[in-house]
Amino acid sequence: MSIDALPVVAAPMIDIRGLSKRFGSHEVLRQVSLTIPKGQTLAVIGPSGSGKTTMLRCINLLEEFDEGEIVFDGSPIGYRRGPDGRRRRLPEREIATTRSSIGIVFQSFNLFPHMTVLRNIIAAPVRVKGMDRTAAETLARDLLARVGLSDKANEYPLRLSGGQQQRVAIARALAMQPKAMLFDEVTSALDPELVGEVLAVIKQLAEDGMTMVLVTHEMQFARDVADTIVFMADGTIVEQGPPKTLFANPTSDRLRAFLKRYHDAYLL
Amino acid sequence: MIPQALIRNFPYLLRGAEITLLLSAASVALSTIVGMIVALLHVFGVAPIRIAVEIYLYLVRGVPLLILLFAMYYVLPYTGIDLDPLTGGILVIGVYYGAFMSQVFRAAILSLPQSQWDAARSLGMRRLLMLQIVVFPQAFRIAAPPFVNTCMMLIKSTSLVSIIGLWELTMAGREAVERSLAPFQIFAGVALIYFCMCYSLAWYGRYLEKRMQYVH
Amino acid sequence: MPFDLNFVIRNLPIFGNGLVVTVELSLLAIFFAMVWGLVVAFGRIARSRLPRTLASAYIELVRDTPVLVQMYFIYFGFAMAGFGLSGFMSGLLALSLQNGGYVAEIYRAGIESISVRQIEGGKALGMSPWDVMSLVVLPQALVRVIPPLANQLIVLIKDTSLVSAIAVADLTQTGKLLTERTAASYEVFLTVAVFYLAMTGIVSGLSRLAERQFAIYH
Repeated sequence: MSIDALPVVAAPMIDIRGLSKRFGSHEVLRQVSLTIPKGQTLAVIGPSGSGKTTMLRCINLLEEFDEGEIVFDGSPIGYRRGPDGRRRRLPEREIATTRSSIGIVFQSFNLFPHMTVLRNIIAAPVRVKGMDRTAAETLARDLLARVGLSDKANEYPLRLSGGQQQRVAIARALAMQPKAMLFDEVTSALDPELVGEVLAVIKQLAEDGMTMVLVTHEMQFARDVADTIVFMADGTIVEQGPPKTLFANPTSDRLRAFLKRYHDAYLL
Repeated sequence: MIPQALIRNFPYLLRGAEITLLLSAASVALSTIVGMIVALLHVFGVAPIRIAVEIYLYLVRGVPLLILLFAMYYVLPYTGIDLDPLTGGILVIGVYYGAFMSQVFRAAILSLPQSQWDAARSLGMRRLLMLQIVVFPQAFRIAAPPFVNTCMMLIKSTSLVSIIGLWELTMAGREAVERSLAPFQIFAGVALIYFCMCYSLAWYGRYLEKRMQYVH
Repeated sequence: MPFDLNFVIRNLPIFGNGLVVTVELSLLAIFFAMVWGLVVAFGRIARSRLPRTLASAYIELVRDTPVLVQMYFIYFGFAMAGFGLSGFMSGLLALSLQNGGYVAEIYRAGIESISVRQIEGGKALGMSPWDVMSLVVLPQALVRVIPPLANQLIVLIKDTSLVSAIAVADLTQTGKLLTERTAASYEVFLTVAVFYLAMTGIVSGLSRLAERQFAIYH
């Protein structure tokens, strides 16, 4: 196991300790521990079935987990260890509040088809955070400009291309002004020529200092954007480290075999 | 060959049709309310409530509506409750079709992909808000065609209340036949009036179905 | 409310007679409906316009009018015309014609649900259209129509209760007469309801069994 070379100076944004999850008899996550410092970008790679998406979805409790703890910006997510040592589920209200400060973008965009792009973006800020509607609209238009879709505010999602929908999804997540952003294979469902526009937005976000966790297959992109790469397989973290060292000198056979399939990342 | 008996009695039949429409409208309203409540209980309720709902659905699906109408007519007086036949008819038909409506609404809610719930939850929405702005608007649209079809079934079912003596289109038809002794004509006319009501609903239901395919 | 079980047991033969009529009517009606429905279905998917239009119009007609009115039409109509049909026959005819329309749609949906690629596969192997239909499409369609057909049978069993209005001594009529004679309405209707639940329950159960049997082929 390689050592994380980045020294942690402040409290991490996301701290995962001993995360475990079972689906029936199948262990999806096995004692996964991971730390994501503020402002850093973490890319998680690995074969399908490695548990990377499940781990991501545990962070904002879209998936329940059986053991372990996740601490987000100092507060625990989902469960708390009571004074008697037993695990107790936090009230829905708290979970919902924590969720609203974590943004997530999904593989299949998941926009609300019956709302316009603008309403998709302002619905949560207005109804969940109680933001004033005009202020929310201004924020939304701002975000649409940032992702390059100012002219699509009054369109319905199904009229947009996949790449455009995904950028709206990013804007929608950003509208809640989250402290961290999660990306679940956000380019896997896109036609190749639309991938670039989405990656450009994500790259800009990273440069602006957002704490991010990306589950991705785009090795090149992970190399360019991530501060740390995490390689998962069979529900555990096999290796992690900075992109340059990880891709150039993989220490585990598992990773070596995995990277062989991504010839270009391996060569560079 | 002019259907003279039918022409003479047509106004009478139309008055019966008015009652049929009234009865249908009231029953649709009741069954929609019952259906929504039962659907929500069925989808979100705890286990004992869900079991109670499934028993209710099993009973309604397995017993003829006529038996329930008879039960209301013959049994209810003994329990001390005094209902006039019209109210009783609306109640029975409303509760009976409430079961079918609940199936329609439940199917619509469940047909929403998990990804919509995920997106709503991840934005920090609580259940009530989720239902209000994400689930129900979409479920409404999905439920519209089968809802219209169920309304059509309900209108046809109102003909059964003639058997327990309630006056509506079918009963008007029987009376007209007794007077005129022209059953083919009269009942053809009765069928025609029902057909007009139901065909327009069937057509509207198909139109809604086509519109939905276009949107999604 | 006190329930007089002895009453039910004493009158079991009477209930039994009504039950037999209901079962007879249901089985005959579903049989004729399935045969007639096949004819109508072929008309519906025919290539020339006339049979298609006739079949569609027929289906629309029986689906958009109440079956009770259809029964009255036949029963009172033929009586007045001179060759009166018994209540049972009128009911049987009306139920067969109406359900024939619904069954035709069930067949059509089943046939159309067979993937076009299978038909193309059959044709590519050099099968004649008739062979494709009988060897590839129909066997699979037959399996797929079992659940909706079972459902239609349940609807039909419930609709047989309407023949009580045209003087047929089915389960419902039996119950009604018994109530009027003895005023034990509570016991009577509960028993009648239980009998109907038993019938529809058996059909549901058999349908689920059949589904599981044929599930292997999917």
